[in-house]
Amino acid sequence: MLSMNNISRIYQSDTIKTHALRDFSLDVKQGEFVAVTGPSGSGKSTFLNIAGLLDPFDQGEYQLDGVNIQGLNDNQLSRLRNEKIGFIFQSYNLIPDYTIFDNVDMPLRYRGFSSKERKYRIEQALEKVGLAARANYLPSQLSGGQQQRVAIARALAGEPKILLADEPTGNLDSLMARQVMEILHQLNQEGATIIMVTHDPDQARAVNRNIQIIDGEISDFGVYAPQQNIATAASVEVDNATV
Amino acid sequence: MLRYNFRLAFENFRRTPQLYALVAFTLALGIGLLSANLALVHTMTSDPIPHKSDKLFHVSMNTWPNEDPHEQPFYILSYRDADHILNADMVKNTAVIYASGGYIRDLQSTEASRINVQIRAASDGFFNLTDAPFAYGQAYQGNSGYEVVIGDSANKRVFGGGNSVGKTLELNGANYTVVGVLKPWYLRPLFYHATEQAAFNNTDDLFVPLETAIDENLPIYARSSSTDSWQQISDTRTKNVYYLQAWVEVENQQQKKEFQNYLDAYSQNLKDNGEHPNKIINQLDDVNAWLAHLNIVDSKVYAFALVSFLFLTVCVFNASSLLLSRQHSALFEHGLRRAIGASRMHLLQQGLVESCVLGVISAIMGLLLAWCFLQLSVTFLPQLQNLAVLDYEILILSFILAIVVTNLSCLYSLIRTNKQSISAELK
Ligand SMILES: Nc1ncnc2c1ncn2[C@@H]1O[C@H](COP(=O)(O)OP(=O)(O)O)[C@@H](O)[C@H]1O
Ligand SMILES: [Mg+2]
Repeated sequence: MLSMNNISRIYQSDTIKTHALRDFSLDVKQGEFVAVTGPSGSGKSTFLNIAGLLDPFDQGEYQLDGVNIQGLNDNQLSRLRNEKIGFIFQSYNLIPDYTIFDNVDMPLRYRGFSSKERKYRIEQALEKVGLAARANYLPSQLSGGQQQRVAIARALAGEPKILLADEPTGNLDSLMARQVMEILHQLNQEGATIIMVTHDPDQARAVNRNIQIIDGEISDFGVYAPQQNIATAASVEVDNATV
Repeated sequence: MLRYNFRLAFENFRRTPQLYALVAFTLALGIGLLSANLALVHTMTSDPIPHKSDKLFHVSMNTWPNEDPHEQPFYILSYRDADHILNADMVKNTAVIYASGGYIRDLQSTEASRINVQIRAASDGFFNLTDAPFAYGQAYQGNSGYEVVIGDSANKRVFGGGNSVGKTLELNGANYTVVGVLKPWYLRPLFYHATEQAAFNNTDDLFVPLETAIDENLPIYARSSSTDSWQQISDTRTKNVYYLQAWVEVENQQQKKEFQNYLDAYSQNLKDNGEHPNKIINQLDDVNAWLAHLNIVDSKVYAFALVSFLFLTVCVFNASSLLLSRQHSALFEHGLRRAIGASRMHLLQQGLVESCVLGVISAIMGLLLAWCFLQLSVTFLPQLQNLAVLDYEILILSFILAIVVTNLSCLYSLIRTNKQSISAELK
């Protein structure tokens, strides 16, 4: 699904060069739920932004769903972002004066769907995150957890191949975080491929693969986590949270 | 997509209405001022009779009788010379005219009040030559009847409008039958009498046959020069009094050449008979050459146009920096839309739609302001009355200008936004 080979990303300022990623290689298979951990500033967001085609990289090779990213123009990259990737941000990034409906609608607008098709998809996506009844609310009328669920609905609406989430629960209290994680696990069970950056070791433990990034590299510690039953993992997590 | 872009534009306006109103007003002010000035320049420099301006020629002759030979032809002619022009049969139309004025009244009316009118003594060829637009009736035939053609506004003032053909009016104790009524007639510039600062006057109210006007002693309301003393206008038929202007309409270059030869031979003949000592110079200027020669465009108008253009550029810079104030939220939304799959092209289109909508708003406001500026300038400078015209060419030009200028104003922030990396504003 996702295959990175020796990816490097260097931030060059006037005085210093930062190797945000160095010789970074990773393969993610269809249906995997990968948790990315690591200290702050280690390059997790850089990795996710490159994976999500938001940022360019300096060296290496990246194939997304069989498509080599190299040499694609802006139109092609944008189209890939729109069709194959759903991005979930830590701070939700909803447009405050658009309704929930219009927020979820945004990616669909660049897809050329009919208004009927869009409406159907928006309703389906909101249904999945349990917010179908709130379509006409404004983000400010929802809790943080609900807002993040709207953001998930927005990421889902285009039926992407892969969901990328950068600390999706970082701004949420534990109850709301748990609800968001439940939805992600549910989606993964239904077949979604997910890569999630997290600081929460419990969340990391609850998924079927962990990688750790340290100083722009995957640390040796970043091996497959023991295969778990995903359903139990989710419920374990719920238990933990209730304790 | 286009509809979505329109919706997003209006969403944006709704978010910061004061900002956009200010931007639109700033641009409208610049556009309005420039449009008003362009309107003045446009009327001043336009061709009043484009379909045949190259076939109409103003006649200047060099027949002034004096001891010192004249080197320059004179734009006013003596009766003798003008009469010779009227007799030229190789041209399509001839018009010999002079400006006059007087008080007229409807003979049938019981009211004693008279109306002041601007009169044109004109030979009968004048109407065909100038394509004067008739609403009713036609031109008079011959130059010595007691028949007149009346202009639209005078017809309204004297007869209350309508078909006044057959009605009688009284001028200086003589009665004239109306044979023709003109439609509203705008000639800007008034090419047939563009001398003596009259180039932007209205067309005349009343047209009186030339010989009748002379017989009836209708005063000369234009420049006249003479070497002889005279009392009555009719004296001018035999004396050296220069006051008539002449125009001819030719069908082709050949006719013009023949007419030129005709004039030159005539001048030479006069000279041979000792009537004047001058070089033979008979100048034929077509409408545009004649207007250019008279320098009818006040150079101040060009200066104002230039200043208002500079003012507009200042407005563009202002609007541009005003628009930067919403750069931050624009960057966020830009990044987000890019992240969810909008291409640069999508967002460029969105920006263009927004600035075009803003351009249309600025254009409408700008044209309203231009209209106000023109009204205002007429109030202060009544002589601009006939110049302060927003014709459709200026309307279209201003509209396009507004769209272009608004897009220019939006360009800087659009470019800046477009340069931003996608993830920069997304946390
Ligand atoms: N736009 C940028 N310009 C310069 N340096 C950056 C930029 N973004 C990230 N970095 C640097 O790259 C490194 C990795 O950052 P990041 O991927 O955000 O880390 P993480 O998400 O793991 O906290 C850090 O040292 C950070 O300072
Ligand atoms: Mg980060």
